[in-house]
Amino acid sequence: MQPQLKSKVRCADREVGEVTKVIMDPLSHEVSHLVVSMNGSGERQVSIAIVQAVTEDLVQLRSSSSEVIALPPFKREDYVTLHEVEIPGLERHIHVESGEVLVPLPELERNVERRTFFANLTYVTGLFIGLPLVYPVLKFLMNPMYASLDNRWLKVGNVAKVKAEDVGTQFQYKRRVKEAFMPESEIEKNVWVVKATPSVLEKVYQGKDMEFRDSAGKPIWTNKKDVPFLAFSGKCPHLGCGFKWRNHKVLGPVFLCPCHLSIYDASGKVLDGPAPRPLDLMPIQVSSSGEVQIIDMEFKAGTKSQTRIV
Amino acid sequence: MSDIPPSAGPPATVAEKIFAFVDERVGLKQLTAKMLNESVPGGSRWAYVFGSILLFIFIMQALTGVLLMFYYVPTADHAYASTQYIIHDIDYGWFLLSYHFWGSSAMVVCVFAHMSQVFLWGAYKKPRELIWLVGLALFALVMGFGFTGYLLPWDQRAFWATTVGVEIMDKVPVIGDFMARFLKGGPTPGQMTLSRFFVIHVMVLPAALIGLAGLHLFLFRCAGPAGPFRGTPVELKAKTDYFFPRQIWKDVVGMAVVFACISALAFWEPVVLLDEATPDPGDYHPEPEWYFLFIFQHLRLRMFSGELGQIFGSIVGPGLLGLVLVFLPFFDRNPERNIFKRPIALIGWVVLTASILLFTVSAIINREFLD
Repeated sequence: MQPQLKSKVRCADREVGEVTKVIMDPLSHEVSHLVVSMNGSGERQVSIAIVQAVTEDLVQLRSSSSEVIALPPFKREDYVTLHEVEIPGLERHIHVESGEVLVPLPELERNVERRTFFANLTYVTGLFIGLPLVYPVLKFLMNPMYASLDNRWLKVGNVAKVKAEDVGTQFQYKRRVKEAFMPESEIEKNVWVVKATPSVLEKVYQGKDMEFRDSAGKPIWTNKKDVPFLAFSGKCPHLGCGFKWRNHKVLGPVFLCPCHLSIYDASGKVLDGPAPRPLDLMPIQVSSSGEVQIIDMEFKAGTKSQTRIV
Repeated sequence: MSDIPPSAGPPATVAEKIFAFVDERVGLKQLTAKMLNESVPGGSRWAYVFGSILLFIFIMQALTGVLLMFYYVPTADHAYASTQYIIHDIDYGWFLLSYHFWGSSAMVVCVFAHMSQVFLWGAYKKPRELIWLVGLALFALVMGFGFTGYLLPWDQRAFWATTVGVEIMDKVPVIGDFMARFLKGGPTPGQMTLSRFFVIHVMVLPAALIGLAGLHLFLFRCAGPAGPFRGTPVELKAKTDYFFPRQIWKDVVGMAVVFACISALAFWEPVVLLDEATPDPGDYHPEPEWYFLFIFQHLRLRMFSGELGQIFGSIVGPGLLGLVLVFLPFFDRNPERNIFKRPIALIGWVVLTASILLFTVSAIINREFLD
């Protein structure tokens, strides 16, 4: 039984007063002391250790009344109330019985049946509002995600810029884009052109022409195996960075991506680094006057197979 | 509790009257007391300052972020120009922008310190598992803030960090393509990407962070501070003090130091934009912000080459690490909190921290070999 407020306190010899406050230990959440008002002669703080027995309205102490009166007076300023301090989990753990404080249940709330039904009805109403919104919201957000592919030929420069065989030459070009509500604008892109020797051509085409198809599977262009000009997409097939043509100490002149150090030879083959596939070839045609045209294509990076996304 | 007016006697000054007016209606006195009088077992410590510092950094990021939005325009044709305008034409624009920029770095550093402290002190263990889980979600949000905010200036650095970052997300099996396109709002980064990153950065993430940070604090108050991992209950009780004033004093000093550091960085290393974003990198070597460098660098390793290697390096590896952190409080059920008696935890932390440092430093050293 826990000591209660207002309980009478009796010492070994006589009754000395009543419990006015209960002091608890903030760590153990147990009652550590009782504060006893000594029938008009101040308050004393009594350790729970000298409590012998607790009954409904009486706390029996082991000590004598003179011993209790001899204790120093209780110092209120050394304590705070439970309302002034944060003690985690106190409500769940407190073991001080202060009696129950009750509030009457409103008349209308007595004997209400089907509480679960009404709770569930709330959820159903929520679903009724929420579910029809899922599809429109998803479509709303997904609207621009899948754009159709553009197979126009773009002029990127003159082949006279290519000075040597099996060497990467960057052609920068501008591409006009019209994105959603935005005014039409130009973005800068680049493509690498290689004038390939027959051995490099053989490595690239392996004796077969290379056919490009649109998303419906219709052929749009064929790179002939004996045309010496190759166009590589400027996007590294590893993670999409822009690569460069560099002299490597060991491997000689190569395509090198500064991001994750993938290295490719002039045929686009991976020589070193993390790239999962060779550089991406694009449709290229060179007119008799040397004008280079390409179909701008971008492929998903990081995959072994080629998936066109632009 | 000296800051709370005495309850006895009628309030005298205007301030006291206002306080009494509010107190009567919302119980301000009790609320303040409950906020400040929280026992810190074993006493206040400098090691406990990081949570408060993170809250402080977040508030400063929110303030500077709102200020930047007075001028910033999130469109592909004006984002760069409006950012340059903030830097070059608006009074103290350079400072506020740079403060916001360095604030994100400070956030990442302090998140790491905060998580390390909780991990080393074993404070994620029962009954504090939920605080740890919500903390991990907050960590993910902070990284999300860094990633989305990086695109907004729309310079080459921004464009390429996003290009590579989203490509990494694309590697998630099955849903990667959808996720990447969803985030980009198309097949390649453009206006839709900028719009999406902007709204995520200024609306979605702050709302999520405020909610989760509130939950984090609520759960923390439910369980209470863990306290030191050494000492008997009696010893801890003898050294216990309240959150106010000693811990708050330490927290405030920590905040002031962090503020001074961020301000100094903003002052001496203000943000300088590169060229405007475009899919032609020119001479620029793409690189993410320094706190993502270790991920960037480890993807250069030969063991993560090829399609499968890449999935392991960029998705499976970090994913597993994340899962280990999520399930940590559930499989580590040994109540021992002393880090010197938890060799696996100690070694794990040292190895992870050392490898993050190693990869970051090697990425920085690698820079000079690229030109």
